[in-house]
Amino acid sequence: MGRVTSDPVCLYVTCSARRWQLPAQTSSATLRLNRRMLSLKRDKKEEEDGGANPFNNLEKSTVLQEARTFNETPINPRKCGYILTKVLYIINQGESLGTTEATEAFFAMTKLFQSKDPILRRLVYLGIKEMSKIAQDVIIVTSSLMKDMTGKEDQFRGPAIRALCSVTDHSMLQSIERYMKQAIVDKVPGVSSAALVSALHLGKGSHEVIKRWVNEAQEAVNSDNVMVQFHALGLLYHIRKSDKLAVNKLVSKFSKHTLKSPYAYCLLIRIAAKLIEEEDAGSDSPMFDFIESCLRHKSEMVIYEAAHAIVQLKNTTAKDLAPAVSVLQLFCSSPKPTLRFAAVRTLNKVAIKHPAAVTACNLDLENLITDVNRSIATLAITTLLKTGNESSVDRLMKQISTFMSEISDEFKIVVVQAIRSLCSKFPRKHNVLMTFLSQMLRDEGGFDYKKEIVDCIIATIEENAEAKEAGLAHLCEFIEDCEHTVLATKILHLLGREGPRTPTPSKYIRFIYNRVILENAAVRAAAVSAIAKFGAHCDDLLNSCVVLLERCQLDSDDEVRDRATFFVNVLKQQQKALSSAYILNGLQVSVVGLERALHQYTLEPSETPFDMKSVPLATQPITEQRVRDVPGELPSSKPAQDKVAATRQDVYQEQLAQVPELANLGPLFKSSSPVEVTESETEYYVQCIKHTFSNYIVFQFDCTNTLNDQLLEKVTVEMEPAEGFEVTKYVPCASLPYNKPGTTYTLVKLPSEPTQVTGTFACTLKFVVKDCDPQTGEPDEEGYSDEYVLEDVEVNVADHVQKVMKPNFAASWEEVGPENELEDTYALSSMSTIEEAIKNIIQYMGLQPCERSDKVGEGKSSHTLYLAGVFRGGHDALVRAKLALDTSGVTMQLTVRSTDPSVSEILATAVA
Amino acid sequence: MGFFDALAQWLGVKKKEVNVMVVGLDNSGKTTIINHFKPPDAKNHDIVPTVGFNVEKFKSKSLSFTAFDMSGQGRYRNLWEHYYKECDGIIFVIDSSDKLRMVVAKDELDLLLQHPDLKNRRIPILFFANKMDARDAVSSVKCSHLLGLETIKDKPWHICASNAVSGDGLHEGVDWLTDQLKDVLEKKRKK
Repeated sequence: MGRVTSDPVCLYVTCSARRWQLPAQTSSATLRLNRRMLSLKRDKKEEEDGGANPFNNLEKSTVLQEARTFNETPINPRKCGYILTKVLYIINQGESLGTTEATEAFFAMTKLFQSKDPILRRLVYLGIKEMSKIAQDVIIVTSSLMKDMTGKEDQFRGPAIRALCSVTDHSMLQSIERYMKQAIVDKVPGVSSAALVSALHLGKGSHEVIKRWVNEAQEAVNSDNVMVQFHALGLLYHIRKSDKLAVNKLVSKFSKHTLKSPYAYCLLIRIAAKLIEEEDAGSDSPMFDFIESCLRHKSEMVIYEAAHAIVQLKNTTAKDLAPAVSVLQLFCSSPKPTLRFAAVRTLNKVAIKHPAAVTACNLDLENLITDVNRSIATLAITTLLKTGNESSVDRLMKQISTFMSEISDEFKIVVVQAIRSLCSKFPRKHNVLMTFLSQMLRDEGGFDYKKEIVDCIIATIEENAEAKEAGLAHLCEFIEDCEHTVLATKILHLLGREGPRTPTPSKYIRFIYNRVILENAAVRAAAVSAIAKFGAHCDDLLNSCVVLLERCQLDSDDEVRDRATFFVNVLKQQQKALSSAYILNGLQVSVVGLERALHQYTLEPSETPFDMKSVPLATQPITEQRVRDVPGELPSSKPAQDKVAATRQDVYQEQLAQVPELANLGPLFKSSSPVEVTESETEYYVQCIKHTFSNYIVFQFDCTNTLNDQLLEKVTVEMEPAEGFEVTKYVPCASLPYNKPGTTYTLVKLPSEPTQVTGTFACTLKFVVKDCDPQTGEPDEEGYSDEYVLEDVEVNVADHVQKVMKPNFAASWEEVGPENELEDTYALSSMSTIEEAIKNIIQYMGLQPCERSDKVGEGKSSHTLYLAGVFRGGHDALVRAKLALDTSGVTMQLTVRSTDPSVSEILATAVA
Repeated sequence: MGFFDALAQWLGVKKKEVNVMVVGLDNSGKTTIINHFKPPDAKNHDIVPTVGFNVEKFKSKSLSFTAFDMSGQGRYRNLWEHYYKECDGIIFVIDSSDKLRMVVAKDELDLLLQHPDLKNRRIPILFFANKMDARDAVSSVKCSHLLGLETIKDKPWHICASNAVSGDGLHEGVDWLTDQLKDVLEKKRKK
C-alpha cells in the first residue's frame, strides 16, 4: 500500500518499521546508482533488447571466481566495482555462501582498501555489511574502517561507521567507543545520524555500553538537522526504554521544549501513546494533553500521527475522540491522495470500536466513495458499512458492486470482512448480503479471497438459522465450479454436518454426488463421507445413500474406495450407536499423539491389540495464547508455536517424557492451563500446571528467580496433600539462577476411591539460597535453606475431564444409553442470567459445549445446554442441562450419562 | 592501465607500484614506522593498537609503496597469511628492547618463512631492529643472531637498527628494499 505514492505521510503509515533501516535504504540506493552507471557503459545492443537485467542468471561459483580479481595489483576500480556489485547481487538474491567461500571473498575484498576510488570504497562498505555475519575474522577491517570514519572524506565517514558497527562484536566495542561518541556529536549530519542509528543496532546486544553514550545522544537531540534529531531521540528512548519513570521524564521534557523535526515529534507521540497504554491511563494523563496539543502542529505528518494515536487508545470517551476525528475528517477532503488514504484507513480501523465517533464523518466518506483512487473508495465504503444503519445497507451494496471488478483482491477481502460484520449486526439483511456474496463467489478471484467469502458464509450460517438454507444453496452452487480442493472439501464437510438437519436433505445429495463423478480424489473422498452422514442421519434416505456409496466402491482411488466400503458396511448394520460412533462423530484423538502412539506400538510389538484409549485426546485449539512479558523471561511455550501440528499438550507430553522420574506414568490425559501461585512481582515467580494421568497427577511448577543477588539450588515445592491423595515423589530443580526459568515437579498418587477426585493442596517452595554478586553471578560457597509460602493449588473435576466435541450430540446421547444415567435438579440462586450459569457450569465441569448450545437466543427464559467430554480413564461423559430463568435465579435440571457409574456420580455432584 | 598512466610511466613521472607487508609482534612500532613516511599533514599524532590492518601509501626514491600495516596482537597474527600471496616484499619489525619476547618473534618469523605462499619465493625481507634508543636495546647483530637470520638462505634479507619516533635508520632500510624490489622488477621485465 505504501507503494501507491512516495508522500512521507503514507510511507509513515505503512512502513514505520523501515525507519530503523536507514542503512539498508541507502545501501540499495547506492547499489542502484552503481548498477545504473555500469549498465550505461554496457553494450547498446543489450539495452535495445529491452534493458534486460545484466545480473540475471549469475552463477555463484563464477562470481566468486571472478572475485579473485580483487587480489591483483594494481587495482582496476571499475572492474572490481562491477564484480563486487555482482557478489552483492547474488547475496541479495538469497544465494547462501558457505563460511569458507565467504571468508575468502571477504579477505579478497579487504584488499580493495588500497584504492581510493569513492564508488569502489562505498561498495566495499556494503560488502562488509553483507558479509559480516557469514565470513570469519571480519574484525580484520576494524582499523581500516576506523581510519575512514575519522578521516577527512565526509562521504566515507557515515558508511564506514555503519560498516564498523556491523563487524564489531561485544568485546571489541570498548575500543571504538571513543570514536563513536565523537561521531554522535559530529557536526556533519550524515555522520551523526549514522552513528546514532548504528548505536541503536548495537544496543540490541550491548545495552550496557550504549547506555554510556547518553550524554552525546542528549547533545545530538539539539541538532538542527531533522534526521539527526529524530535518530537521537530514538536512541535516547531505547537507552531508557526499560525504565518507565525515565521515559516519562523524557516525554515531558521534550514535549515542552520544541523539537524541530516532525519525525521526532511522531516518535514522541508513539512513545507517549505507549506509556498511556501501559499505565492504563485515560485522557486526564499529561501525556494525553501532549498528544492532543500535537493536533495543532503545523506539519501534517505530526497531526496525523497524533490523531492516529488518540483513536487507537483504549480508554477514551467520545469527547476525547472528537478533535482527533475532526482532524481526520479534514484530511478526508485533502487534495493529497495520501492524506485521504491515511485518514480513511484509520477511520475504517476504528469504525468498529467507536462507530458513533466515525458517524460524524459520514458525509465526507460519502464523497470519497467516488474517489478516483479505488483503494480510498473501498475503504470509504467499508467504513460506511460498518457505521451505517440498516436502511443504508442496500444503497451501499449497490454502489460497491459497480466497481468490485476494479479493485485488487486485498481490498476485496476488506469488503468481505465488512460484510461479515454486517451479517452479524443486521441478521435481517442476510438476504441482500448473501446474494451479494454469491455474486462475488462467481467472479474471478484468488484463493485467499474465495476463502474469506466461504468463511463469511459459513459464519453467517452458524449464527443465523434463517440464512442457513440460502447459504447452503450458494455454497452448493459454488462447489459445482470450484478449483480449490481445500475449499471444496471444507464445504462438503459442512454440507455433511448441516445438510441432514434441513427440511429437505435430499436436494443436497445431487450436488454432493456430482463431486464424486467430476472431481479429484481428495474431493471425491470428502463427498463420500458427506453422503454417508446423510445416510446415517436420515432413515428415509438410507437406501439411496447405500446405493450411491456402493457405486463409489468402484472408484479408481484407494482412499475413496476404502471410505465407501467402510461406510456401506456400517450403514448396512442399521444400528444407531454404530452410526453415531463411526460416521457422525468421527475420531477425537490428537493426530500427533496418535502418530506417536502407533509408532511406539510398532516398535514394541505385543500380543494385545492397539488400545485407542491410550491415545491422548484432541484438545480444543487454544485461541488465546496469553503472552506474559516478564522482563527477560523466555517464553516457555515457544516450541508450541514452532510446530504447527503439535498442540500444547503434545509438547508437555514430550517434556514430561524427558524427566526419567516421571516416565512410565502412561499417556498424558490432560494438562491444565498455567495458574499463578505467586503474585507476578514477588521475589520468586511461580506458575503451576497440572498434568493428569490415569492414576497420578503431576504438578509442574515453573519458577523464576527475580533476585539478581541470589542463586537458588535444590528447589522443590512441598505439598500437603488433601485426604486420600499421596505425594510419592519430588523432582527438584538443581539450580535456579537469576531470571532463568526452571522447573520442578511433584508427583501425587490419586485416591483409590473412584469418586474422590477433588482436593486442595497447600504448597511451600523449599530451596537452598546462595548469595551471589549481582554483576558477575558468581555465587558464595555456603548456602542456607529457606522456604517461601505459595498459594494453594486446587484440583477440581475439570482437571479430570477432557473436552471433546460431539458434532451430533443426540446420536451420542443414544449411543451411551441410559444405563448409568443420573438426574437431579438444582436451584442456582447466585446466577442472575442463563449466560452466566452456562459459563459457570462449563468452567466447573470442564466439558465441551456441543451444537453451539452455549449460545442463548436473546430474551429466552429457558435453554438446554449439551456438554460432552471424556473422563480420566477414557470414559465418555455426556451432560444435558435444562436451564430455566425465574424470579429467584436459574433452575437447572441436570442429566448425566456416562459409560462408567462413578463418573456420572462425580459429574452430577460437581456443580453442587 | 590507461594510456596516460603508461605515458607517465614511460616518461618516468609516475613511479612503479609495489605491495609490502609490515608485520611483527604487537607494540613493536609498525604503525609508527609507516606514520613516519606519511607527508607531514597526514601524520597521525596519536597511535593506537591496530585491529586488523591498515593500508597506507608512501613513496621512496623510485618506487611507490602500498603498505599493509598488519595488527601484531596475538589473536590477529593468524590473519597475516591472507595477504602473503600478493606482497612483493616484507618488512618485519622487532622490538629490540623486548628480549623476553624475542623467541616469540622468532616463532612467528619461522611460521612466516615456512608458509606455502612464501616458501618458494625469493622475496626480500627487511628487518627493523626498532627502538634502538631504548637503554636495554640489543644491537642489530645480536638481534639477527637471536632470530637465527643467518639460516635464511633463499631470500635476500637485511637488518638495520631504527628509531621510528625520530626516524633514524628508516630511510636506510627502505632504500635497501627499494633496490631489491627494483632488481626483481627488472628481472620480471626481461623475462
